[in-house]
Amino acid sequence: MNNAMRTMPAEAATVERYRGAVADSRFRRLWNANAPGYLFLLPWLLGFFGLTFGPALMSLYLSFTDFDMLRSPGWVGAANYVRIATADPKFASAMSVTLTYVMLAVPFKLAFALMVALALNRGIKGLPIYRAIFYLPSLLGASVAIAVLWRQLFAGDGLVNAALAQFGIQGPSWISHPNYSIYTLVALSVWQFGSPMIIFLAGLRQIPQDMYEAASLDGASKFRQFYKITLPLLTPVIFFNAVVQTIDAFKAFTPAFIISGGTGGPINSTLFYTLYLYQEAFGNFRMGYASALAWILVIIIAIFTAFSFLSSRYWVHYDD
Amino acid sequence: MTLRVSRRNFMAGGATLLSLSALGSNAFAQDTRLRLLWWGSQPRADRTNKVSELYKAKNPGTSITGEFLGWGDYWPRLATQVAGKNAPDVIQMDYRYIVEYAHRGALAPLDSYMPSKLNLGDFDKAQIEGGSVDGHLYGVSLGANSAATMLSKTAFEEAGIDLPTKATTWEEFGKMAAELTKAGKRKGMFGMADGSGGEPLFENYLRQRGKALYTADAKIGFGVEEASEWFDMWNKFRESGACVPPDIQALDKNDIETNTLTLGKSAAGFAHSNQFVAYQQMNKDKLTLANHMRVTKDSKGGHYRKPSMFFSVSAQSKVVDQAVDYVNFFVTNPDAALALGVERGIPESAAMREVVAAKLDAVGKVPLEYVSGLGDLAGKLPPPPPAGAGEGELTLRNISEQVGFGQLTAADGAKQLVDELTRILARG
Repeated sequence: MNNAMRTMPAEAATVERYRGAVADSRFRRLWNANAPGYLFLLPWLLGFFGLTFGPALMSLYLSFTDFDMLRSPGWVGAANYVRIATADPKFASAMSVTLTYVMLAVPFKLAFALMVALALNRGIKGLPIYRAIFYLPSLLGASVAIAVLWRQLFAGDGLVNAALAQFGIQGPSWISHPNYSIYTLVALSVWQFGSPMIIFLAGLRQIPQDMYEAASLDGASKFRQFYKITLPLLTPVIFFNAVVQTIDAFKAFTPAFIISGGTGGPINSTLFYTLYLYQEAFGNFRMGYASALAWILVIIIAIFTAFSFLSSRYWVHYDD
Repeated sequence: MTLRVSRRNFMAGGATLLSLSALGSNAFAQDTRLRLLWWGSQPRADRTNKVSELYKAKNPGTSITGEFLGWGDYWPRLATQVAGKNAPDVIQMDYRYIVEYAHRGALAPLDSYMPSKLNLGDFDKAQIEGGSVDGHLYGVSLGANSAATMLSKTAFEEAGIDLPTKATTWEEFGKMAAELTKAGKRKGMFGMADGSGGEPLFENYLRQRGKALYTADAKIGFGVEEASEWFDMWNKFRESGACVPPDIQALDKNDIETNTLTLGKSAAGFAHSNQFVAYQQMNKDKLTLANHMRVTKDSKGGHYRKPSMFFSVSAQSKVVDQAVDYVNFFVTNPDAALALGVERGIPESAAMREVVAAKLDAVGKVPLEYVSGLGDLAGKLPPPPPAGAGEGELTLRNISEQVGFGQLTAADGAKQLVDELTRILARG
C-alpha cells in the first residue's frame, strides 16, 4: 500500500485525496444524520456487546476448555464436542425430550392461539378485557409460581384427577409418571398462548373486510373463506409466530426445573436440553462442557430457523 | 500449581492489608466486613443471624452480611461467586463438596490457626479428620448427624402396629409397613417411602454388608450382586404395598417439604437426624427417629456420625483472620451454642454439647439421643465422596425409578448402575 502510494504520479495522488475528501464528507453527512439514532441505541449497544456478544464469545472459547469454574480453564481442543457426539447418552435423551416438546408444544400452542384470536376477532363486547385475561398466563408464563401450581394440578390427588374421578376415572400422578410428565409441560406451554394470540389478532385486523364481503356475495362458505382468505393472508404472521415460538420452546427451562426439582425426572422424562446443560455446568462443575452443549443448541436452533426461512417461500404469501 | 502460588501471594497481600489497617487509625477499624453464605431454611437463618449479632457485640467495628439459599440453588450460586472472584469469606461447606473445593484451591487451609485462634481441642477427632483434605484442615464441622428413619408415631399407633426397634430387620419392617398400608386408617397412606433411590439409605445397606458406596481411591465400592438384591428388596416392598408406588415417590424432590412423610403419603420416610426438628414442625403427627433397618439380625456398622456441615474460609478472603475468629466463636462460644441448638446437628465440642443438652426441649433431645445412642450400628466415617458423586446420586435415583416403573428388572438395573457409576468416576 505504502509503496503504491509512493510510486503514484502527483496527479493521481490529488485525485485520490479528492476522493478521500468526498468519502470523508459523505461519512460526516451520514454521521450527522444518524448520530442521534446511534446515541439512542447506545445503551442497547453497550448491553448487547457487554452482556450478550462478549459472553457468547467467551462461552465459545470455554467450549474448547475443561473450565470447572474454580481453576483457570485449560485448552482441550474439540474433546467436549467429541464427547457430545460419541459418549454421552444423556445428551441424546435430553435432545429427544426437547424435540418432542418442540414438535408438540409449538403447533398446539399456535393452533390454540389462532382459534382464540379468531373468536375474539368477531367483535364481541369488552374485547380488551378478554384480551387481557387471555394474555395473563403468558405474563405469568415462566414464573416459578405457575410451575408450582401446575405441580399441584397434575399431582396424583390434584384437581385434574379430582375432575376425572367425577367420571369414574382414576388418573395417575401425571406430573411424576415418566409416560405422561412431558405432556403436562406441553399443556403448560399451550396454556401460555397469549403472546402469539395477540399477534394473530393484530394480523387478522389487517385483512381487508371487503374480501370477505366479496367472497360471501360469491356464495363462499365461512370455512372456505377461512381457508382461502384468512389463512393465506395470515401466513406471514403464522411464520413469525412459528419461528419465535420454536426458538422459545428450545430454550424452555423453568417449568421443567421447578416441576422436577432440577433432576429432569422421573427417569429423565423432563430432562430438557437447557436443564441438562444447567446440571452439567452448575451441578457437575463442567462449565466447559456445558458451553459446548450451549453452542450445539445454537447450531440446532439456527438450522431450524434457516429451514423455516427456506421453506417459507413456498407457503408464506406477502401482499404484492 | 501456578494458581496455588498466586493464591498464596494474594493471601499474603490480604494479610498485609489487614495488618496495615490494624496499625492505622480508627477510621480503618470500621472496615472489617464479613460475608457469610449458607444453605437452609428460615429457622436456621434466624439462629445464624443471632450468633452474628452476638459476635458483633463482642467485636465492635465488624459488620457481617449473611445470605442463605436452599440446597439446590446454593451450589450454583457458590460456584459462580468463586469463579467471579467474589466468594463470601465464610462458606458453609458439605462433606460431598469439600474435596472438590479444596482441590481446586477455593478454600483456605486452617491448620496454622490451630490452636491459638481456632480452638478445636475438645472436638471429636474423627470429625476433624472429616474436614481435612490431603492432611490439611479446610472445614470446621458445625455438627454431627446420621442418616435416620423418620416415623410417624401417631400413624403406627392408629394402625395398632409397634414401632420398629434397633433390632428390626428390613424383612420385618417390610411386613410391618405392608400391614400398616392394609390397615388403611388414612386414605392414601402407605407404610413407608420408596427409599430405593436414596443414596444415604443405599450406602447404609451396603455398609451393613461390609461394602461401601465409594472407596478412598475414588472407585465404586460395591458390585452388581448387592445392587441387584437392593432393587429386588424394593420391588418386593412395592408389590406388597409396603412402600408408596413409584409415581408418588417421584414427587419427592429430596427435601423436607416434599418427602412422602410430610405429604402424608407414608408413615415412614428417610432423612437425616438433624432435620428432625424441622420435620416435627411440619407434621401434625407425633414423630420419632429410628435407625435404618438391619440387613440381618447380626449386621452392624451401617450408620456413621457424619459431619453435617462445615464452615470453610474462602481462599479469596481478604480478612481470613477475622473469618477464622468468627468460625471459632461459632463453634466454641457457649452463647453461640445455645443460639444454634442442634439445628445443624449435634455440636462437635464436648463442652458445647453439654451446654446445649442442658437446655434442649423434648423435640430437640430426640436427635441428640438418637445420634449418641446408635451403639454398634455406628461405624467409621467413610472417606469423602469422590468428584462425580453428585452425578452418581442422580444416577441412582434415575435407575431406581426405571426399576420402580418396571422399565428395568432389578438385575439389569443393578448392572446399569454399576456401569454408569464406573463411567462417571472414570471421568471424574
